[in-house]
Order: sequence, then structure tokens, then C-alpha cells
Amino acid sequence: MTQKTARSKKPSSKVAPSSRATNVSTSGFLRVSHSRTHSRSINASMSRRSFSLAGDGRVLEKAPMQPARATVKVFDENGTDVTPQPLYRPDPAAVPPRQSKILMAQDVSGATFSDFFSSAFHTTYASFGGPFTRSLFESSIVSKSSQSTMESLNEEIEEPSSKREGIISLSDVQVRREEVKEPTTEDVLNKKVDIHLTETETLCLLDIPATSVSVESEEAEIVKQRNAAYTELCKNRMGNDKYVERAMQTFNGAPKAKEVQTKSITKVDAAITATNWDIYDTLSGTGVEGVVREPPETEESNLLDIMSNHSQESSRNLERSMSFLSHTPSSSSSRTEMEVFLVPVEDAPAPEVILYSEKFQQDLLVMEKVVLQNIFQPKLAAYRQLPILKDPDSTQKPKDTGKTEKQIQKTEDIPSSPALEPLWSFTCELTVGRNVSSMTWNKMNPDLLAVGYGHFDFEDQKSGLVCCWSLKNLKWPDRIFHCESAVTALDFSGHNGCLLAVGMHNGSIATYNVQSKEKTPITDSSEYPHKHTGPVWQVKWVSQERAHSEEEKGEALVSVSADGRICKWVLKKDLDCVDLMKLKRTKSERTRRQLGERERRSELVIWREVPGLCFDFHPEDSNIYLTGTEEGFIHKCSCSYNEQYLETYKEHKGPVYQITWSPFSPDVFLSCSSDWTIQLWRQDLLEPVLVFTSPCMAVFDVAWSPKWATVFGVVTEKRLEIWDLGASILDPTIVQDARPGVKLTSLQFASESDCILLGDSDGQVGVYQLNLNLGEGTQVNKTENTQMKCYT
Amino acid sequence: MQSDLIAEVEETLKRIQSQKGVQGIIIINAEGIPIKSTLDNSSTVQYAGLLHQLVMKTRSTVRDLDPQNDLTFLRVRSKKNEIMIAPDKDYFLIVIQNPSD
Repeated sequence: MTQKTARSKKPSSKVAPSSRATNVSTSGFLRVSHSRTHSRSINASMSRRSFSLAGDGRVLEKAPMQPARATVKVFDENGTDVTPQPLYRPDPAAVPPRQSKILMAQDVSGATFSDFFSSAFHTTYASFGGPFTRSLFESSIVSKSSQSTMESLNEEIEEPSSKREGIISLSDVQVRREEVKEPTTEDVLNKKVDIHLTETETLCLLDIPATSVSVESEEAEIVKQRNAAYTELCKNRMGNDKYVERAMQTFNGAPKAKEVQTKSITKVDAAITATNWDIYDTLSGTGVEGVVREPPETEESNLLDIMSNHSQESSRNLERSMSFLSHTPSSSSSRTEMEVFLVPVEDAPAPEVILYSEKFQQDLLVMEKVVLQNIFQPKLAAYRQLPILKDPDSTQKPKDTGKTEKQIQKTEDIPSSPALEPLWSFTCELTVGRNVSSMTWNKMNPDLLAVGYGHFDFEDQKSGLVCCWSLKNLKWPDRIFHCESAVTALDFSGHNGCLLAVGMHNGSIATYNVQSKEKTPITDSSEYPHKHTGPVWQVKWVSQERAHSEEEKGEALVSVSADGRICKWVLKKDLDCVDLMKLKRTKSERTRRQLGERERRSELVIWREVPGLCFDFHPEDSNIYLTGTEEGFIHKCSCSYNEQYLETYKEHKGPVYQITWSPFSPDVFLSCSSDWTIQLWRQDLLEPVLVFTSPCMAVFDVAWSPKWATVFGVVTEKRLEIWDLGASILDPTIVQDARPGVKLTSLQFASESDCILLGDSDGQVGVYQLNLNLGEGTQVNKTENTQMKCYT
Repeated sequence: MQSDLIAEVEETLKRIQSQKGVQGIIIINAEGIPIKSTLDNSSTVQYAGLLHQLVMKTRSTVRDLDPQNDLTFLRVRSKKNEIMIAPDKDYFLIVIQNPSD
């Protein structure tokens, strides 16, 4: 048993020296060598085995099953058999392959110890137990050394004495050792060998107690048979073909590096910012074309066409392009170049298209106004108006008039003498040198002023000019209309704020639509056979409340001209100047007057008609109107009577240039004439209530102030006079002289402001602020009181 | 008609330029490239670039608050001058004025 126990399965591949592998053969030196080789091979196999643990489980298992049956005997000096017992006696059949690893591990430890000792040429116990001796990882290392050790061991083996410590584990080796013992005995005996004996700890790795069976029991036979079979098996194991050690090696697939190249993948980042208005645009359909930009390929193709497509794509909304869809392709640079310009380029029209578009022109005009407002801001603030653009889409912010107003009010709080403060003047290069003949405010837009330029005299007739000035643009008129002949009368329609009626020196009347940019009149009476044959001195739009027929409701244009007719023009259709209804008959015109008749009776009548110079409809009763003639008479007429006057006021000695009803007092009117007087009349009195004289100058124009009942302005050739009846009826309150060399021609009060417009013969319309320090509101009573005073 | 319009536009531009305190007029197209300018090149480019972004931002703000609204005019008043911008979908008209001159 000891032999058996000493039998070591495995060549302890381990560490070194003592590793030997050989389950080989049995005998002699040859065998030894053979065994050596075999051992080598086995060693190798062992070593190989060490690498391939897993696969070799079985093989490894088998290996321990191929024990060299030769046992190792260790004898000490005394000849005692001190062969150590094997710690482990494996049962080959029962050992599962898996255990082998574990055991092998254990083997290592075991083997190490044993190897160490044996390597030190110590007597050791064969560390038996196949598992211990199983080959291990280090076997490769071991193998080389093992060979050498093998040889050395073999040498040792050849020592004769059994005292020589056996080589651990291998039974083969033991076999060899036994054989080789004799020849070397003599040689080695003389050596002195130090032998150290130590004892290791007892490691109990596995303890399978032997089961003993009584010889007499029934199983005895079976056990014996089994034991015998086992012995046989172990014996047969060596050369048996059934048990072949085979090493296995798994094939590791040889790695092969394979390269694949793909075309670089184009990635495009598309980002979109959805803003509130963006969503709205898309939903409302305005963004239909542009919101989802076409994918890059179309743009690629259009690279060359982009410039040419400007005009087509100018309709695209720029905002959309700016707000979103930034393509950032990761591909070639050429493409990126294009993409960079992609978004904006598509939408940009050519510069010329921009610069000369309508919209641009409008923007320019607006900008001009803005710039001018900045410049004239204090003046306009002094004018104290909040300008309203005449364009329909007005979103103009009110100027910060608050500040300046306060300032002005502060200055006004200081009781100062009534004064005219010049603000600015409407003039431009077009109007320089022209005589301002008439001015009128737009009824609907109080910021709009129409000024007509034309000479009164017959001699130097230039073509006429009508300029529509706006308060927003003080330097350039908003509209310019060139007329054939001098403009002598203007009026804006009350019903339709765009219509401007222009009366000219050649007797024709034209209407213009101020809103449009058209330079030509809507209607022109030049071709009309019954047009006026003399200069039209006044035109007025009169709203007809009492119409003679249904068609005449609305507004009618009434004009008076030097041919003695007061005509009413009714525009039935827009284009044609239509029926004029003559208020005076051809035969027996109203303006035929006493003088005319007298003359007719007495002398040759040169003219039957008397040129009418002015007229004014009653503010409340549109049927009644006053008209002034060249003779100096003022006639009160009615629309219902074509032939007769209701009244005649004869006081003036010269042509009556202007008649105007008082806006506050329904019965009072003023008239001025070239006889240097201004006369204040009451409707029912045939004598003027008050007469104001101006120093030696014909009075061209007179106008009531729309704000103060007792104030009116008078324009003579050289001066502007403001009369305040409440202050004085003898002298004008304010007198302003004209600039030298310039004659003043016309006067207009501003309706919503305290300002006066003064036109002169140089084409300038000066705007003056009137500071009268009067209270607001009408002072009708005051007027009447004054009148009563005067009257009595 | 077109020539009339061109003439008018040119005239209006000249008038604006001649007004008191106007330092410069710049017209830039939709991408922010100056088309016409009365200032020197570097200033023009600078104004164009900066104001373009400002107007875009302003317009976006206005429309975000109410998508039916739109920006019609923008004035930036500073200590030294005032920049007035009339934006449109195809162009910006910029006028720089110093009203206190």
C-alpha cells in the first residue's frame, strides 16, 4: 500500500527539479532514457497539459490514472521505511473533470513543497497524490528545468542506496531509481550528504476514509474484485492504447484586421426655431411657400440660378428665413459655402428693385417726415397739434408735446402783449417766386393744407401750381399739381376729403384726388362748353341739404368767376364734369345789377355781367349766400331764386374781395374791399355795423378766427392785422409787417391751433402763432355786445 | 413711370440728406448687405450688421407678442444722435440724425 501510496500519479511538473513526467516504463537506463524522452514527451505533454487545462480535464484525469506503479520508497538511515503516506488516494472513476482544476491547484501547493524539498536533495516524502503532481501552469517552465532535473535526478537515482531520497511522485522514477541504484552506490557512498528533515504541517485536503469491508461479508468478494480490477487497471494504464494522453489545443481564430471604408456620411443638422409669429404665419398660410425649406439638393442645383431667381423669390418672407432652418451640413466645403448663403440669398432682390420700388419711396417719405419732425419738433409742438398721418395706416406716436407745451404755456402765462410768433414757413424751391393766391385746409385732415399759386394779374401768367403741404413735412409738399394756368381758388371737399377743387385763371375748374399720386385732375372743366370764361375767383364745396332733386344730395361745387356767373357744378359721374346748374341765367343773370341796368338803359353796355369776386354760403342755411362783386355790392342771394337778390348791401366803394360769415354769430359777416375798409355787417341791417379802415391799402383778405368770436385777421398788401373787437374796435391788436419786397396776399386761420397762415407773393406761407392771451371759447355775447354798442 | 419713380427716389434721398443734422443714410438689403450709403465703408458695414440684428430681434419681439402685429418703424434715441430705421421685408432704410445740431 505504501507503494501504492507512494505511487505518484503525476510527474509533478511543478517547480522544478523534481518534475518529471514519466509514467513510463519500468526498467533500466535505456528505459530511463527512454523514459526520459518519454518523460520529456510526457513532460511536454504535461506541460501542454498545463496550458490547456479545461480541455484536458479528462486527459489530465487520465494522467493521474496512469500512474507509474512503481512506488517510491524512502528509507532512512535505519532502513525504516519512512515513505510518507499519500495524502490523497484518488478514485479515478469518481473524480469529475472539474475537480481536476481545483485539485491541481492543490497539487501545486503540494507539489511545491515536495518539489522544493526534493530539489534540495532532501529526502522527502513523495508528495503523492496524483493531484498534487498534476501538471500545472508552470510546467512549461518546469519542463526545461525538469529535463535537467530529470537528468540530475536520474543521476541521483542511479545512486544505489535506497537511502537516497526518492524523487517525489513518480513511480516511474522510483522504478528507475531502483534499477540504477547499484552502479552508483560505490561512488556516491563516499560523499557526505547533509540531510535535513523537516516536517510540514499536515494538510488534510481530502479525507476519504477507506472503507473496510469485512472479509466475511457479502460484499467482500465484490470489493476484492473491484480492488483487483482497479489494480489491473492501473497497471494497464501505462501502455494501454485506451489511455492515451492527448493534448488539445483550441484554435484561436487568427485575428485578421479588416478595413472597411465608407463614403463619409453626410449629416445635416436641421434646426428650427418656432416662434409665436412663425407658427401664426404658417397657420395663416402666408408662410406656405417658405416655411419648410426645400432640402439641400434643390438648393444645390440652384446654385447658379440663385441670383437669377431673386425677383421671383422676393416675395418670400425674409423673417421666415431668418428665424429658422439653419442647415449645417457636415460635408464638403463647397456645399457648406452654398448653405451659408442659402437662407438669406434666396430672398434678396436686386438692389435696383429695392431702391426703386413703391414701398421704398413711401418709406423714404416717411423717413423724411420723421427727420423733419426731429428738426422742427419744438415748432410743431408749438403748433400744438398731434399730427395724424393722412395715410390710412397711421401708427404715429404723438410727439412729446407735453414737455414743450408746458414750456410754452409757461411763457404764455406771463402776461405779454399779444404777439405773433413766427414758427416756420412752407416754402420750397418750386414755390419760390410764385404768388400765393389761395389756401385752404383739408376738412378731414386738419394737417393738410392746400396752397394755390398763381398770379392775380393778367399780365404775367405762369402756369399754376397747387401744393399740398402737410404739417409733417415742412420742407417739401406732399403733393404737387401743375396746372395750366394760374390757380386762383381752392377748396377741399367736405364730404370727400380727398377731393380738391381748383379754380384757375382761365376759367377752368379741376378737381384732384389728393390721395392718389396722380398728377392729373379727376375732372377738368376745360373742355366743357359752359365753363367759366373768366378767372374763377372762388370755389366752394357746398353741401346740399335741400336738394332740388334726389340726385343733388351731397355736395356741390359752386364757383364764381369773372364772367358773372355763379355756377353750381354737380359731379354725377366721377369722370365727367357734369351739368352745371347756373344760378344766373344767360339772359337775365342775377349779377345784372342796377348799375348794369342803368348802364344798359343809358349807355352801351359793355358787360352785362358783373364779375363776382367772392361768395360765402351761410353756415347754417346752405340756401343763402352772399356774394361780392366788383362793383362793391354785396348781394344776398338764395339758391331758390335765380334771378333776384334777396338783399343788396351797398357800402363798399371798390371791389369786394372777400366776404365771410362769422362762425360764431349767425347774422354777422365781414367784408373787405379795395377801398381800404373792412366792414362788419349784420344780416338784417343794410348798413355796416362797424367799419374798420386800414391805412391806405387795399384789403385783400379777411378771415374770422375760428376760435375767438371777436378776432379776425386782415391782410393788406403790406401788413397783417389782427383785430380783436373785444379789445379795440379802432385799432388792430396786432400788426405785422410783411417782409420787404413781398406782398401779402392771403390769410388762413388754423382750425385746431392758434396759428395763422400767411401767404405772400414770394411763394411763402408763413405760419405764425397767435398769442392773444384770450380765453378759450366763443365770446358771442361779447360780439353782440360790441355790436350793440356800436350800433347804438 | 419707372424713370419718374427713380427720379423721385433720388430726389427724396437728396432732400433727406440735406436736412439739418442728418449724418448719414444707409440702405441695406434683406441679408444686411448695404446697398447704398452716404457714410464711409467701415461705418456702413458696422451699422448694417448691428442694426440688422436689432431689427430682427425687435420684429421678432413685436410679432411674438401678437402675431398679427408687425414692426413698422424703429427709432433709437441716444445721447448723441438718433437712429431711425424703416424696416421692410426686403430692405432696411436707416437714417442717422443728430437733431440738436
